[in-house]
Amino acid sequence: MNEPERYELFVLPEGVEKLSLEKDTKVPNAATFTIQCEDHTLGNLLRMNLLENDKVLFAGYKIPHPLENYLLLRIQTVPESTPSAALQQALSDLVQSVAVLEETFKEQMSGIKSREGTYL
Amino acid sequence: MSGKDVATKMKTRVILGEDRILHGSSFDAPTSFASVGVENGLNVEKFTEEVKVEVNDVSEDGNDLVFELSGVDAPLANTLRRILLSEVPTMAIEIAEFRDNTSVIQDEVFAHRLGLVPIKADPAFFETHVSGNEHTPENTLIFDLNVKCFRDINNEVVNSKVFASALVWTPFGEQAERFAENPPQVVHPDILLAKLAPGQRIDVRCYVTKGVGKVHAKWSPVATASYRLLPEPVIVAQPKSEEASRIAQTCPTKVFDIEDSGELVVARPRQCTMCRECIRPPPDAQHSAHGVYTPAVELRRVKTHFIFSVESTGILPPDRLVRDAIGVLKDRALFYAELFDQKDFEEHMAAASHSDGDDDASDDETKPMLE
Ligand code: SF4
Repeated sequence: MNEPERYELFVLPEGVEKLSLEKDTKVPNAATFTIQCEDHTLGNLLRMNLLENDKVLFAGYKIPHPLENYLLLRIQTVPESTPSAALQQALSDLVQSVAVLEETFKEQMSGIKSREGTYL
Repeated sequence: MSGKDVATKMKTRVILGEDRILHGSSFDAPTSFASVGVENGLNVEKFTEEVKVEVNDVSEDGNDLVFELSGVDAPLANTLRRILLSEVPTMAIEIAEFRDNTSVIQDEVFAHRLGLVPIKADPAFFETHVSGNEHTPENTLIFDLNVKCFRDINNEVVNSKVFASALVWTPFGEQAERFAENPPQVVHPDILLAKLAPGQRIDVRCYVTKGVGKVHAKWSPVATASYRLLPEPVIVAQPKSEEASRIAQTCPTKVFDIEDSGELVVARPRQCTMCRECIRPPPDAQHSAHGVYTPAVELRRVKTHFIFSVESTGILPPDRLVRDAIGVLKDRALFYAELFDQKDFEEHMAAASHSDGDDDASDDETKPMLE
């Protein structure tokens, strides 16, 4: 009855930006990104990638309400960097490491196929 | 043990004690262990060096895959698992049009049962159907189910059970040629869908569309996708021979072996279920002066080594599912990386800091909205 529409999980509401940034007014070099239609799948991964950057002082995410499909990602960096640069770095690291993972997995599976000849 | 060894152990191992778990959390920040000189943090080169995939086991029907993923952190493994469960697309019955249903099972209940039947069709050949739009051969498959139960001349009841095999594919548009080689069909023809009495009939047309598990579990391509950390039972102090054989016998999964020399060795660590039987003090345990019992075995798990098990529902082979999942993640990362390039957040940041002290400017901006 009051179940949220299923398409809301991936259809962006009208006039809403997929990714937006709000600068923190009280803390220097801090900002909060709002990412629409995302959940822990991406949030936790980005948080980890951000924390591995030594320019990042703080990185955390939250999903304010389980029925609203957006996440807040807060980043604070050292003065030499900015939150958006840190996130950009995290994303490009992610792209590269996933590509590596993909290759590794494919290689391993092709080995299996040729060795046993029966699988798939 | 030096500080460095302790830090490395904290970082890479979870330790299971008799009554507690140590170092269960992860230490992501690069400075976590800087004071003792242990490098933390990750970069792509290090990731490339460390990441490893090893296939352990494939079941006979090819639907279950067990592989080990090591050298990655928990969030990446968890992301893969979550994507496998809820974001790898498959095909499932989305709309059921009832033309006739005189059976005892209600339309909506039967429709729900239909939705959960796995349909063997490669989702890569289809586009996503947006609800409300027209069904086209590019985004929809049609299955018909038309079963009537009756008595034959020998008074035998025919078709009293409706199985999934009654769902027959009806080619839509030029689909007959497109899928001539492997026609779409149900994965398991022997799923019982309904029971009928003589004279009853079910006639349904089903529209199969592409979707993902987070919208409805019927689109989830896996029965389960899970991982566990690699168990690492370690013998820290070689016990005396009676104690050794006691430990070897007490382990329910037979992890330990006794060498000819009477030494206790960890022979099959992967079989360990972390039941902790081997670290429980025996009734006649030798406690130290402080009343502490020190077991001969230390139970650890490797924090960066994941034993994945993926069980496909049979729609797609499990290796394909994992590849699809990695693909979904890659597309997502690329999408955001590109989106980021289009936006000028640096400027936004600079502009925001500029207008901080400039109250008039922000006032100007808000005024029109207030009026
Ligand atoms: S924890 Fe249980 S399964 Fe693992 S080694 Fe000890 S007794 Fe065996």
